[in-house]
Amino acid sequence: MRRSHLLGLGFMTPAILLTLALFIIPVVLTGVFSFTNMSTSTGITGGAYEINPRSIRLMKDAGLREGLIGDLEENLYKIDAAGLAQVEKDFGKKLAEEMKGAYDGQTFKDRRELVRAIKDLKSRPRSSRDLNKAADLFQKSILNVRYDDESAFLNGLGNLGITLQDGEQAELTRFAYTGWVWTTENFSNMAAMPSTYRAAFNTVLYIAFTLTFNIVFGVFLAVATFYLPSAAASTFRTIWFLPRILPHVLYVILWKWFTWDTGFLSQVLEPFGVAPRNWMMDTEINAWVSIVLINGFVGASLGMILFSSAIKAIPSSMLYASEVDGASRLQQVRYIILPQLRWPIMFTSIYQTLSLLTSFDYIYLATDGGPGSSTTVWALYAFKTALNNYGGNLQYGFGAALALVLVGIGILASVLYLRLFDFKSMNAAPRIEQ
Amino acid sequence: MRILIDNFTKTFGTTTVIRDMTLDIESGEMLALLGPSGCGKSTTLFAVCGIHRMNGGRLLFGDRDVTTVSSQDRNVGVVFQNYALYPHMNVFENISFPLKIRKESKADIDAKVREMAKLVHIEDLMERKPAQLSGGQQQRVALARALIRKPDVLLLDEPLANLDAKLRLEMRSEIRRIQQETGITAILVTHDQVEAMSMCDRIAIMNKGQIVQLSSPSEMYNEPASAFVAGFMGNPPISFLDGTVEGSSLRLDQSSIVLPLPESSRPASPASRVKLGVRPEYFQPENPDKVEGKISFIEIQGRETLYDVTLENGAVLRSIQSSGPLHKLGDTVRWGVDHSRVLAFDESGARL
Ligand SMILES: Nc1ncnc2c1ncn2[C@@H]1O[C@H](COP(=O)(O)OP(=O)(O)OP(=O)(O)O)[C@@H](O)[C@H]1O
Ligand SMILES: [Mg+2]
Repeated sequence: MRRSHLLGLGFMTPAILLTLALFIIPVVLTGVFSFTNMSTSTGITGGAYEINPRSIRLMKDAGLREGLIGDLEENLYKIDAAGLAQVEKDFGKKLAEEMKGAYDGQTFKDRRELVRAIKDLKSRPRSSRDLNKAADLFQKSILNVRYDDESAFLNGLGNLGITLQDGEQAELTRFAYTGWVWTTENFSNMAAMPSTYRAAFNTVLYIAFTLTFNIVFGVFLAVATFYLPSAAASTFRTIWFLPRILPHVLYVILWKWFTWDTGFLSQVLEPFGVAPRNWMMDTEINAWVSIVLINGFVGASLGMILFSSAIKAIPSSMLYASEVDGASRLQQVRYIILPQLRWPIMFTSIYQTLSLLTSFDYIYLATDGGPGSSTTVWALYAFKTALNNYGGNLQYGFGAALALVLVGIGILASVLYLRLFDFKSMNAAPRIEQ
Repeated sequence: MRILIDNFTKTFGTTTVIRDMTLDIESGEMLALLGPSGCGKSTTLFAVCGIHRMNGGRLLFGDRDVTTVSSQDRNVGVVFQNYALYPHMNVFENISFPLKIRKESKADIDAKVREMAKLVHIEDLMERKPAQLSGGQQQRVALARALIRKPDVLLLDEPLANLDAKLRLEMRSEIRRIQQETGITAILVTHDQVEAMSMCDRIAIMNKGQIVQLSSPSEMYNEPASAFVAGFMGNPPISFLDGTVEGSSLRLDQSSIVLPLPESSRPASPASRVKLGVRPEYFQPENPDKVEGKISFIEIQGRETLYDVTLENGAVLRSIQSSGPLHKLGDTVRWGVDHSRVLAFDESGARL
């Protein structure tokens, strides 16, 4: 390899590493996780075998044989060495030896059965209280006992005398396994859940409204500041740029203060007989207006900057020409300025579609997807599913599957846009003639 | 329509670019605003079309005071130096733009644009975008756009600056033809004196925001009011000789050369300083008042040859001769000055 090649590689390395660390690895991991059922309860490392109330419920849901489930749930009584040793300590050696002789290794379905069996023995305790106590020393259950591997689990079952019919073993171990497994269920679940469609619909709504607001308001600001005297214009621009440089949390807190039931809006409207209310969360419409405005004011400032510089790039003689041609301000905007903004508007739309698709920070801070899930967009839905759930059971696998859909759409859209832009830039005439 | 610029003053911030300028342009006249770069020609033009507000003075179109009228309402057609065509519109849309703004009917617009396109010979280019036109074609589109709504006044800001020599010649007569056909009052801004002389009825020469002379082209050439005007008019330019008056003659500085002064322009006081302007065509071998010098530069212009002759005191006289190059660089020649055609100026540059 020539030295210049090495040098080139050297210069590229940081970029390659960054892409790898910030894009490729996360995407690959998301892809991997999305085909598992990882969650808080499975953990992300391997699991153990255990029958617990949850797995019992799942088995019932799955329609396993009721007799088997009953056996698993019930307490059993088994005469074993540990129990006998305890009997010897509490009730004397005689009873212990007699029990060992008569019943060693036997299993009794319930306590009554065992008590009746003990009553048959010569050295049995007299009081029924003592009888029960002695019987309890042999109580056994598979519930909530952890076994590290499958054979130990099956052993445990055998020891308790739980008998399995043909084909039940595999199913039972599957339900008893507490670790994660490979699955495609995330995607079939996704397609079946109404909340998925709600999130998709919300996302489309969110992007459409916010983008429209961003562009229209951005163009308005750019045009308005273009016609202002330059000092006033730059003050104006700075003010509109503030939301963008404000920390997100602070910015949203301002909005919350503005809309709280004891906040600015309520206070101002109270004298006019409007009942105070939480203006942000009062209704779904309120919540939507809020998040569109919160995002919109931030997004519009980017548009404003881009469009302003595009307007400034228009040769002033062209604007003069339109004036002497008789165009009013409005006509000038419509016929001269807006056509020149076509490319920046297109670029901004594309860029913001992509970023809105994956951004949920302002929504999360402002409405947290509520009221209900009326403002939960796809990205927030994925975030909540995987990383921030009230129930406490975080479904990493399902969340990853949701995120993977976003990644897919994002990559597809980027490729599409890139082609579109390349194609145009190769064929189109210069944007601004000068 | 008559245009009267009355005591016009223009300032940008604290610098005054034009002070108390007065200019009266007759109806149907084509006037050239001629002057060096930065003298305020474009500024004047922009004030006439309303792009710049005037800081002082009045502007009259006919009897109407338009000083405070917005440019939209002045009905002025302007051809900008860089044409300022709208790049996103095709030729038809560009030309029809002023009519579209006035919401004229489609049929009207169509008819007018066709007619105008014929006038400026661009009928075949209607679908093209400005980027697909040559400079001369763009220039004609700009002219058509300026003329389409029959403006009262036509303003041309260095319309030919970007064209090649041949196209420039063509467009000169083209613009003049259209101006005369339409009978429109026009102001042509230029810093090319040939353009000004060949196209316009009168020329206003500007310097540092002032009109220094307003005359017809031939008068401007033959009777310049100042050394500045004399220096500006004519190509190749006039050459100047500095000297001191001795009786009815002028002794050139640091030399033995004595040249007679024309009778009409003898200074009142003896021994005063005078600047003599000699145009190249009046410094010729056959003229009587001989001056000796060395040829220091030869420029062959095809039909004519231009010589620079350096005199013994280092001053340079220029001569243009229609014969082929008969002399070599370094030749010593004795050529004569036509003293009846020399121009004398006093120390401040004013004509004597
Ligand atoms: N917007 C402005 N702000 C400040 N000064 C200006 C402005 N426009 C023009 N000037 C100044 O006014 C003077 C006249 O400018 P103008 O454009 O009228 O010159 P011009 O005669 O058209 O020159 P040119 O032949 O180079 O086009 C120049 O000194 C210029 O620097
Ligand atoms: Mg100019």
